[in-house]
Amino acid sequence: MTVFLLQGIYHACFGLSYLVALLLELGRFARPAAAWRATGLAFGIAGLAAHTFYILVHHPDPAKPSGSLLLLAWVLALFYLYGTLHYAKQAWAVFVLPVVILLVSLSYALQRSENTTEYGIPTWASGERFWGAIHGTLILLATVGVSVGFMMSVMYLIQARRLRNKVNPGQVVPLLSLEKLETMNRRAVTLAFPLLTVGLLVGTLLLRHDHSLSDNWLSPKILTTAGLWVVFLVLVYLRYGTSVPPRRLALLSIAAFVLMLIALGTAHPFATGGTQ
Amino acid sequence: MNLRAIGCNVESATVELREKLAFDATKLARALAELPARYGTEAVVLGTCNRVEIYLARPEEDAPVHSPLIAEFLAEVHGVPAADILSHLYELHDAEAVRHLFRVTSGLDSVVIGETQIAGQVKDAYDVAQKADATGPLLNTLFPAATRVSRRVRTETKIAEGHASVSSAAVDFLRPIFDTFTDKTVLVIGAGEMGRLTLNHIRELNPARVLVANRSPDRAAALAAEYGGQLVPWEQLDDALVQADIVLSTTGAPEPIVSRRRFDDKVRPRRGYRTLVVFDMAVPRDFDPRLHDGERVSVFNVDDLNRVADQAAAERRKHLPAADAIVTGEVTRFVQDWNRRKDGPVIGQLTAEVDRLRESMVSPLLAKMKGKLTPAELEHIEGAFRLFQSKLLHGPIAALQEASRTGHSGTLREAVMKLFGLKG
Repeated sequence: MTVFLLQGIYHACFGLSYLVALLLELGRFARPAAAWRATGLAFGIAGLAAHTFYILVHHPDPAKPSGSLLLLAWVLALFYLYGTLHYAKQAWAVFVLPVVILLVSLSYALQRSENTTEYGIPTWASGERFWGAIHGTLILLATVGVSVGFMMSVMYLIQARRLRNKVNPGQVVPLLSLEKLETMNRRAVTLAFPLLTVGLLVGTLLLRHDHSLSDNWLSPKILTTAGLWVVFLVLVYLRYGTSVPPRRLALLSIAAFVLMLIALGTAHPFATGGTQ
Repeated sequence: MNLRAIGCNVESATVELREKLAFDATKLARALAELPARYGTEAVVLGTCNRVEIYLARPEEDAPVHSPLIAEFLAEVHGVPAADILSHLYELHDAEAVRHLFRVTSGLDSVVIGETQIAGQVKDAYDVAQKADATGPLLNTLFPAATRVSRRVRTETKIAEGHASVSSAAVDFLRPIFDTFTDKTVLVIGAGEMGRLTLNHIRELNPARVLVANRSPDRAAALAAEYGGQLVPWEQLDDALVQADIVLSTTGAPEPIVSRRRFDDKVRPRRGYRTLVVFDMAVPRDFDPRLHDGERVSVFNVDDLNRVADQAAAERRKHLPAADAIVTGEVTRFVQDWNRRKDGPVIGQLTAEVDRLRESMVSPLLAKMKGKLTPAELEHIEGAFRLFQSKLLHGPIAALQEASRTGHSGTLREAVMKLFGLKG
């Protein structure tokens, strides 16, 4: 019980820091002032520090839904920090932080329903299962690509809608250009697809190797992940094989992100004590 | 301070008169040579399409130059009757002239509020005058100060944010679409003035190529030569549209030159999914507005650009009070600094003179008393004289400094100099 509370407090620590950073960022665009940005950035950095501290201390297991979501949230928090510093005038945090907060919240909610008796260094990090670590890392990097593709797609759709309605660019929250968003989305998908493919191949080999897990081929995790891979295959084909409007690709990237959340939220066949 | 700003602008004179009073290089050189020679003034001539102004500074003891004299001078230089000029001239004195220059340089007196071009024009006007040896202590202090104030106004307020002219508003629509412009092709269709103005703004983004197409090859060739562009025969307009990323269209055609059907049949299939942005500034319009989808083809017309420019101008006007507050503070500071600069040498001379007097009285006295009084007593006597000097000078110096702050120290300065026998 104490462990639950401690975990909850830590999640709340960085989750709320990110939330305050998001609110301050929104405030910056409602009433421009340098202090909003500086304070928002300070909260964002504080949240990232607490998040990092939590990961270092608790070693969340990436094979568990809560762990994988938390690690993904951490990578995206780094992405938030990079973007906020690099694209100072754009509404970067407004799009990245909600995803980070969503992932942290999901991680917390899922953790409460998972078996919590096994804390400590997980097997993937102990060196006992090298290929498991490779599989986890590749999948994690692929999910980062999917998440980036999702955020760029949302921004793209908003920017395209503004232009369709000929909204005065000077009167709205600034976003990256359509060209930039399209490029970033393309790069994210292009990088994520091979990572996902290789990661899944390694995972498949691991499943075949471990006969005790051979009954898990039809687990929700594997099915949704396979679905995600198929969506990605379609995305890559549409992007490079045909000339499809970027708007449709953006919608497909959003669908891939939703599928990824479902895949991450379901228990992993390698994890012990997950929810199915 | 003996400063005058005499001139006319869009509010006081018609464009016809302003055109007649415009200074070309020859007339400018003549004015900058003759104004100092004839009237003993420092002079800077500022000529833009919206204003013709002459800034004149004379020594304080001299009578100021007034607008009738300048009207006669302008009449002589431009061959326009002085009576036609005089009623359109405004004349601003001292601090008001300083304020006017600071506002002009900051773009607060411009037709498009906050425009930045004027700061460069003021600087150029000053540079030319300086090179012609027509400036002196006051204008050499005033014009650099004006440049500094304009920079301050632009960085501390949002007076220059957004694009408040129709031609520059196009850039506002391009930024959310394209990330880089160095690989983009701009196609100019027609040779209308609005197209030229807009092209000037877009060229600042460094596009890779400029193509020019016009029904009249001569005008197209002239425009292409002016902008380093490539001439496209009118018959190859569709090919040019396939290559273009940005189109500026300003023909005087009575019908749309690019219908939806023409674009869909001859252009769209060859463009793939490359983005095309069209600024259709022709009335009637050159492009079918139904081409606009906000993603692969965006078509903005004059009304769209006007709306953006109007909103930017309204936004800028909100920052006028803050900008004026900066100007007011800077005018006060400039006038005080200038007066202090004029009074500083007088105060220094006064202090040195009284120092000399005190020394001439105290030194013999102390020499006589040496040996009769202790060193501490001698020091006490010297201190008493110093205190007396301080008290004696406090009144005149304080009065001079106070007069400097209000900008009326001239008469007092002269009185102090006479009373204490100082030399100017």
